[in-house]
Amino acid sequence: MKALDIQQLEKRYPTRVEALRGVSLEIQPGELFGLLGPNGAGKSTLIHCTTGLAQPTGGSIAIFGHDAIDNYAEARQAVGLAPQEANIDWFLTVEETLDYHAGYFGMPRRERRERTKELLETFSLTEKRDERTRTLSGGMKRRLILARAVMHRPQLLILDEPTAGVDVELRLELWHYVQKINQEGTTILLTTHYLEEAEQLCDRIAFIAEGQIVAEGSSEELAERFEVPNLEDAYLALVGRKELSRSHIELDPEVAP
Amino acid sequence: MSAAQIRFATLWRREVSRFMKIKKQTLGAPLLETFLYITIFGAALGSRIKHLHGIDYVLFVIPGLIMMAWATNAFSNNSSSILQQKFQGAIQDQLSSPASPAELLLAFSLGGFMRGLIVAMLTFLVSVVLVGLPVDHALVLIPSLFLVGFFFSQLGVLIGVRAEQFDDVAFAQTFVLQPLIFLGGVFYSASLLPQPWETLTRFDPIFYMINLVRYGFVGFTEVNIWLSLLALTGATAALFLINLRLFSKGYRLRA
Repeated sequence: MKALDIQQLEKRYPTRVEALRGVSLEIQPGELFGLLGPNGAGKSTLIHCTTGLAQPTGGSIAIFGHDAIDNYAEARQAVGLAPQEANIDWFLTVEETLDYHAGYFGMPRRERRERTKELLETFSLTEKRDERTRTLSGGMKRRLILARAVMHRPQLLILDEPTAGVDVELRLELWHYVQKINQEGTTILLTTHYLEEAEQLCDRIAFIAEGQIVAEGSSEELAERFEVPNLEDAYLALVGRKELSRSHIELDPEVAP
Repeated sequence: MSAAQIRFATLWRREVSRFMKIKKQTLGAPLLETFLYITIFGAALGSRIKHLHGIDYVLFVIPGLIMMAWATNAFSNNSSSILQQKFQGAIQDQLSSPASPAELLLAFSLGGFMRGLIVAMLTFLVSVVLVGLPVDHALVLIPSLFLVGFFFSQLGVLIGVRAEQFDDVAFAQTFVLQPLIFLGGVFYSASLLPQPWETLTRFDPIFYMINLVRYGFVGFTEVNIWLSLLALTGATAALFLINLRLFSKGYRLRA
């Protein structure tokens, strides 16, 4: 059984914008899979269709064998989402944010308390537990969003640009946590604009552009396919900006030592 | 408790905790407003009018105020809660959960319903103590009040889902709901109005709701009680089904 099985997925918005044009993607259980693409390529739309935040106009999505439309309850139970935007409720405290989320997924009270305590510790949020979320710093909000996403112990964790705008220390902390839970068996779908992040963390990577998967494989395979030395150059080739490649940058003789 | 029960209880708890955290605004302000109405229309105006259709004026007015408190609180709570969560994006947490459209709709509805219930109950209890508000027909009053509360909860959900900015909610409340309530006969009897106002009042659906509640409390009505109750039940069910369809389709909730 595949962790995520997307076949010929289409999404056309009422504005007639075709965000996804027949995307097919398969992720195996336990994989850490990277989805890369420029802004507007369809990454977030694909994630929203998978998590029920957007309704596909064609194709199918199955999560651990559960159809995301017909058996949405089972499918969503298996997924945790850490979205790109800080979509947390300003009225709630940090602790309530985790507790309510677990409640939405049917977790009993005692288990919620234990899991909340554990995750507050893991994400260094214990001291902030009674604070309203609107008072948190950007980094703290990012921690909370990730803690919330894993609160109900999803089998498939979707991270939509989890490290965008965070400092180096927090980024490394998040990487370590993601690797840890991946080793423990959680399947992970990661979208990021940091290519070194994808290169270091992901088993396989797919490039998405204009609503279509255009290439898929390990970072080495992608570099080979685009006939370039590394993933960054493969990405630049994809977006048609080869001239930005670091290997093309020549030192200005006037400023060179 | 089953997973589904825990889920629904949490969704409901979240909606109730939202207004309980800002009690001064969500409970205190409407209570003060209701008591100001009672003071002005009951004590001040009541000293001149004395009786209406043989009923103490203050007792004639209070049932409409109780209904108005439940209706406006249920409406404003749900419309603002949904819009606010859409605005923050926080509603995505509920929408991406295994909750069904019916569970989500009921939980959102019951938040405002509870807030309206609390304000209405407190107004009722104080009215009993201060002016001896009777309950003449409990079997009409209880279902009428519950239907009114649920109807306006549904209306609040509908406006909240449709709204794209806070102005949309304010427009519905200020320019549609408030005039209909005030012109529906909270403070007066329609039969005292000159034509064509008396007839026009009968086109205001809230006139029938006020009469149902007034009949329940003081036994006076200007409409057919059973027909009104039937119409209110039908309208509430229709609104619930419309909302359920919107939630099932994800209208303005899911992209």
